Amino acid sequence: MKTENLTELFDQLNGLKSVFKYGQKLIPIVQNLLDFMKETAPMLENINLSISESTNKIPKAANQINNVTSATELATTEILDIVDIISSDILQIENNLKEIFKAEESKNEIIKKIKILHVNGDDKSLFDEYTKVNHTETAHKNISELISKIKTNSYNITLSLQVQDITSQQLAAVSHLIYSVQERLSSLVHNIHETNENEFDSMNLAVPEGASFDPNARYSKEGNKQDHVDLIMNDQLKKTSQAEIDKLFS
Amino acid sequence: MLLKFLIVDDSVTMRRIVVNTLKNLGYSDFVEAIDGREALEKLSADENINFVVTDWNMPVISGLELVKSIRSTDKFGKLPILMVTTRGIKEDIIEALTAKVNNYVVKPFTPAILKEKIDQILATV
Repeated sequence: MKTENLTELFDQLNGLKSVFKYGQKLIPIVQNLLDFMKETAPMLENINLSISESTNKIPKAANQINNVTSATELATTEILDIVDIISSDILQIENNLKEIFKAEESKNEIIKKIKILHVNGDDKSLFDEYTKVNHTETAHKNISELISKIKTNSYNITLSLQVQDITSQQLAAVSHLIYSVQERLSSLVHNIHETNENEFDSMNLAVPEGASFDPNARYSKEGNKQDHVDLIMNDQLKKTSQAEIDKLFS
Repeated sequence: MLLKFLIVDDSVTMRRIVVNTLKNLGYSDFVEAIDGREALEKLSADENINFVVTDWNMPVISGLELVKSIRSTDKFGKLPILMVTTRGIKEDIIEALTAKVNNYVVKPFTPAILKEKIDQILATV
């Protein structure tokens, strides 16, 4: 063996020694990694189980939301029915009162005529006394005002029930979101366990086909919402008109 | 002018509220539809309908698609249409205007607003 070959052999042995030294340093790290994986494996299994369980629970949550919408719609319909009955009753009271007012007026006209025929003595004071006690006009006015107030209030109840439509759109948006999350989770569980995806497909979520909703629906009685719409409308209409004028002159 | 309204909304509550409001404003002739498809059917079946009040968000055929369908025909090209919706962002309003709605009301509305918009439409047709 030549001296050069021996030098090369020593170099390679030194290189090998370095690899072993490096490997020795790596062993605890690899061991730690193995220990970590051993510890996390059950944790990951738990996470998978949790995802799987949560995925199973999602259809129930979505259906409960849809049930809330149905229940509020039913309750709103009942309230509207009652308001309709109240309105109809008020109308009847109003008509009856009108009849009473009319009869009162006729009665007073007759009394006036009788008074003209009996102008003297005790009869006059009797007529004056009758006129004194017959001051139902204020009461009539008060009742009419009260009826009008009840009518306005019951009508305002009807208008406030618009909240049902607005909140149902918000709930539909939540249902849709839940549906999307369920789809993602199902796909994740499927990838981890390689389970049959149909298992999750069969969990029917009651999201109506072609459901349409406004996720930004808000119940607010502030008039500036409509003002904002009117402003945009006017602005756009002006732009359109100007565009049409420009078109004519181009 | 005697008006016969077609009220289009998938919410039974909203249809009742719109009808009640219009009754309070003195109108008495109404037809109702639960979505755009039923609205188109009712429009074809009833020639007396001369005013449409429609929601935007509805299943099957939306209010916007309904407006576009109506405007695409010669027969109903000039039929007054009032959009009553929760959608109040600028892009939506412009989209509705482009589809040629006559006016636009955001929910929740007041009778005064509804009257104002109907009157504005009637003044221009």
